[in-house]
Order: sequence, then C-alpha cells, then structure tokens
Amino acid sequence: MSDQPTQVPPAAPEATPAPSTPHAEGHSSGGASRREGSSGGGGGQRREGGSGGPGGPGGPGGPRRGGKRQFFRKKKVCRFCVERVDFIDYKKVEMLQPFLQERGKILPRRMTGTCSRHQRWLGEAIKRARNIALLPFATEL
Amino acid sequence: MEERLYDLIFICRPATPEEDINKIVATLEHSATEHGGKVEKTEKWGTRRLAYRVEKHREGFFVYMVVRSTQGDIIKELERRLKVSDVVIKYQTIRLDEELKRQQKLVHHRERRASHRPRKQAPPAPQQQVPSTPAEQTAAG
Repeated sequence: MSDQPTQVPPAAPEATPAPSTPHAEGHSSGGASRREGSSGGGGGQRREGGSGGPGGPGGPGGPRRGGKRQFFRKKKVCRFCVERVDFIDYKKVEMLQPFLQERGKILPRRMTGTCSRHQRWLGEAIKRARNIALLPFATEL
Repeated sequence: MEERLYDLIFICRPATPEEDINKIVATLEHSATEHGGKVEKTEKWGTRRLAYRVEKHREGFFVYMVVRSTQGDIIKELERRLKVSDVVIKYQTIRLDEELKRQQKLVHHRERRASHRPRKQAPPAPQQQVPSTPAEQTAAG
C-alpha cells in the first residue's frame, strides 16, 4: 500500500525481454490465493503447466521478485502409508475413486503423493476393478 | 499343493430372477466341493451400475464368492460353468493367498520392529514457519 507507484515501472521494463513475463504477471495478479491453493493438488497441476523442470520450486528467473517467487510447497505424504494399509482391496471402489481422473485415468504419483510401493498396489487394484466393471477404462462422452 | 484362496466375482443380467442366481450359486458350490474345494463365502451385492457397457447392459447383478482349494483345476471348472451360463455376462477370478501372505508378513515385521526397539518419544515437531512474504506489495496495474 505504502509503495510508491514510481517503484513499479523500473521493474516492468526489466521483465519484458524475459520470456517469463506472462508467467510473472499471472502470478502477481492472484499471488496470495495461488500460494494457498498450491498446498493441495493445484500445485502439481501448475507445475505441469509451467516449465516443470527438476529445478524445484525456485524455478527460472527466481531472484528478481525476491520472496514472492519462493512459494511454500507442502510435502505430500502417501495416504496409504499414513493409514498403514498393507493391502489395497479392489472391491472398495470408493477408496480407489479419488485416485482416478475424471476420464478414468490413474492419477500419477506426483499428483497424489503416493509412495512407489502403494502406487504399484493401487494400480493393480484399479486394473482389477476395471476388469470386472467396477471402474471404467474410460468414461464415455 | 498348499491351499489357495480365490476371489470370484460374476455379473448376471439385471433381469435375472433371484432363483436362477441361487441355482448358479448352488451349482458352483456343488462343483467346488466335488473338486476338493470349498466356497467359504457368498455375497450378493445386488444390482449395481456397471462402469461400462457389458453385452449392452448398463446394470448387472453382482455375486461375490470366496473359494478355498488345494486344486487349481477347480477354477477351470468354475469358470467353464460360468462361461456356459447364459445369464452370466462377466466373471473374474483372482488368486489372493499370496497377497494375504505378503500382508501378514508386513504386519508381522511391523510388530517385531515395534517390540524390539521401542521408539523414543519423538521431539515435538518444530513448527513449520511459513515464509512470510511482504504482502504489502501491491499488484501493479
């Protein structure tokens, strides 16, 4: 609020040559809400949409905006490990449903945070459920 | 051969009268005992919506059975009977004993670990400090 408008113009032209301008603009417009949403699944999606490289949360062009760039990502924990699940039952459809996309695809690990072992079991369970028409292979339009 | 445990699910046409289903279940149980096996459990899930169309049906009557046997041939026989039946539109048999064994092993392992070295009381997790960003930065434009 107290920032003088004169401070902004020098930053903007500096940003224009960089290819990340639309990115930065989108960030500044809804900055606060994005940060909050990033703790959930939204963070993963955003990452996929952007560069998505292994560079981590810092990303390219980080230092210019200072603290604004470093958003805090909540560490995802495997839901099955927390509940100590040793066997994923293919008959419990409502348990498998959250790990499917709308069209019936299996959600990747990077979205759900499932550990590799449980993802393996989960995939098996989903495929079994699909075979016996409890879950769809692909939802029709 | 050691004993094996199987899950058997089959789906009947939605318009099948209850008696026909009972008849199928009875014949399955009969042929199971004939081949030296045993039907441990039979559950009728009732009419459920199928995740995709099966033989032009959108719904089906699900029957779930647990079969225990030392003879693998029993499954061949049961599946042959289901295949021959006109009422049954889909069936699936899954061998489960190895997975249950794995599950028991994991539980056993966990219990042993818990009893061998009692976990020290973990120090209270340090409060996660959310890196506060200067919220005063006004969105230019």
